[in-house]
Amino acid sequence: MADSAISQPMLGSVLSKTVRDQRRALVWWGVGLVATAAMYAAFYPSIVENAEVLTQYLESFPEALKNAFFGSDADFVSPGGYLHTELFGFFGPLLLLIYTIGAGARAIAGEEERQTLDILLSTPVSRRRVLVDKAAALSATVAILAVVLWVALVLLGPPFDLTPGVANLAAAATSMSLLALAFGAIALAVGSWTGRRALAVGVAAGIGGVTYLIDALAPTLDAVVWLQKLSPFYYYDANVPVKNGLEPLHAMVLLAIAAAGFTLAVIGFQRRDLTA
Amino acid sequence: MADVIAVERLTKSYGRSRGVVDLTFSVTQGEVFGYLGPNGAGKTTTIRTLLDLIRPTAGHASVFGLDPRREAAEIHRRAGYLPGEFGLYDTLTGAEYLAYLAALRGDVDPRDIRELADRFRLDLDQRIRSLSHGNRQKLALIQAFIHRPELLILDEPTQGLDPLMQQEFYELLSEIRTEGRTVFLSSHVMPEVERVCDRVGIIREGHLVTVEDVGELRSKEIRVLEAHMAKHVGVEPFAILPGVQEATSEGELLRVTIAGPMDPLVKELARHEVVDLVSHQPTLEDIFLTFYGDEGPEHDGR
Repeated sequence: MADSAISQPMLGSVLSKTVRDQRRALVWWGVGLVATAAMYAAFYPSIVENAEVLTQYLESFPEALKNAFFGSDADFVSPGGYLHTELFGFFGPLLLLIYTIGAGARAIAGEEERQTLDILLSTPVSRRRVLVDKAAALSATVAILAVVLWVALVLLGPPFDLTPGVANLAAAATSMSLLALAFGAIALAVGSWTGRRALAVGVAAGIGGVTYLIDALAPTLDAVVWLQKLSPFYYYDANVPVKNGLEPLHAMVLLAIAAAGFTLAVIGFQRRDLTA
Repeated sequence: MADVIAVERLTKSYGRSRGVVDLTFSVTQGEVFGYLGPNGAGKTTTIRTLLDLIRPTAGHASVFGLDPRREAAEIHRRAGYLPGEFGLYDTLTGAEYLAYLAALRGDVDPRDIRELADRFRLDLDQRIRSLSHGNRQKLALIQAFIHRPELLILDEPTQGLDPLMQQEFYELLSEIRTEGRTVFLSSHVMPEVERVCDRVGIIREGHLVTVEDVGELRSKEIRVLEAHMAKHVGVEPFAILPGVQEATSEGELLRVTIAGPMDPLVKELARHEVVDLVSHQPTLEDIFLTFYGDEGPEHDGR
């Protein structure tokens, strides 16, 4: 009966429809994050066992290189230190950024390139509302992924003595989702201004790559240490949330970047012609 | 009656090429207005301006007396729109797609959706991905009607529809006209516009050529009549008939180009033995010739 489809709860708004569109992708991203968490957890005991050798090996590195790859802390043996340098240091944010940048770019520019936007915007739903819903969907889905990662680490860590604390894991997952949201918002903004998905992905990923390197390399050169504070990655983990909890000020900076991205997206989307 | 659409000196420039220039016309409540022109003439540009999908470079459009720029939501609530080119959400079924749009509109009776789908014989349970081009066109057409809009803005509505469904669509249009609702539709085929519209605006290369009643237009239309005669006839008696622009006679084939009433021509023909008679539908280019002679619109000032 088609009539039963008339009131589909997940098709009641742009927000719910956008989340619904992602449901299959979210399952796979979730599986990927759980597998990642499991892998990092499973490796932890061997890191602890070989801590001495690894530390010696690390000591042989020039200071600058050491900083660049492991941070000034260079604690990769404690549970928090290990997760900070490994999972939360690179691969976790990479995965989440790929997700949010892709989703942010698709949100408007993707619909536009597929030419579904003309009909959507011929309904009484305003451009602003479409954008607010898309931003909300992005926030909701990245939150879901962060929770999945958090639960996976909380459950899979203890068997391998990887126990930085439930609250600290939540702080790290939160910080990571805020970082990812900031870059998703940048992609959304570029897509909303230009209607070009590939450009949105490229700009957001480019900014991501450059600011990641700035965050990693700036501290190694005294003259440009200050540059680090221009990088979202600094606010993501300078405080090592997985050991020290969330630094509210840093979280606010990431939120502000996301909010600025969303605001710019609304402005850009409202003022331009849509591509036919 | 009130103007449902009023376009005043509307100009939309895209660099040097496409766009529309200084359009002025209006569409009255209850009429079916045809917007006729070849592809790329600026029909879609005009239409998308009415819905605030694009903004004019100069001039102004209003719909229901509302400003598309500031009051788009109200216009959108009361109008239904079929784009000339569109994408649908491939992973949804037809029913899900219409349910989504119905939810966004908020004032849709599910029975209307069912009825429209039955009418156009569209299986709503199929995934959009697996629909044929014609069925996608039907689905997009249906979504424009689900909320019983006062105004329908349809960009090339019959493209991709098979003849039977075109017929169904024409019937739907005539019902809508009977109900006093307004239709603004674009087309690049003259016979379609002649058949369903009350008035026609003709656009070419971004310029509005004319706005006329369909009847008037028909009377101005150039037709080419080819008559196969039993034996050769001279062209002289035909060449002097009113409205005849050209008459040639080669062997048994008499060819007359005529604008205006056919009656004198037919009466003259009847004096001879006619074997076969063919009248060609005028192409858009023929129609433009009626209005321009041999000059293109580029000589039309600017």
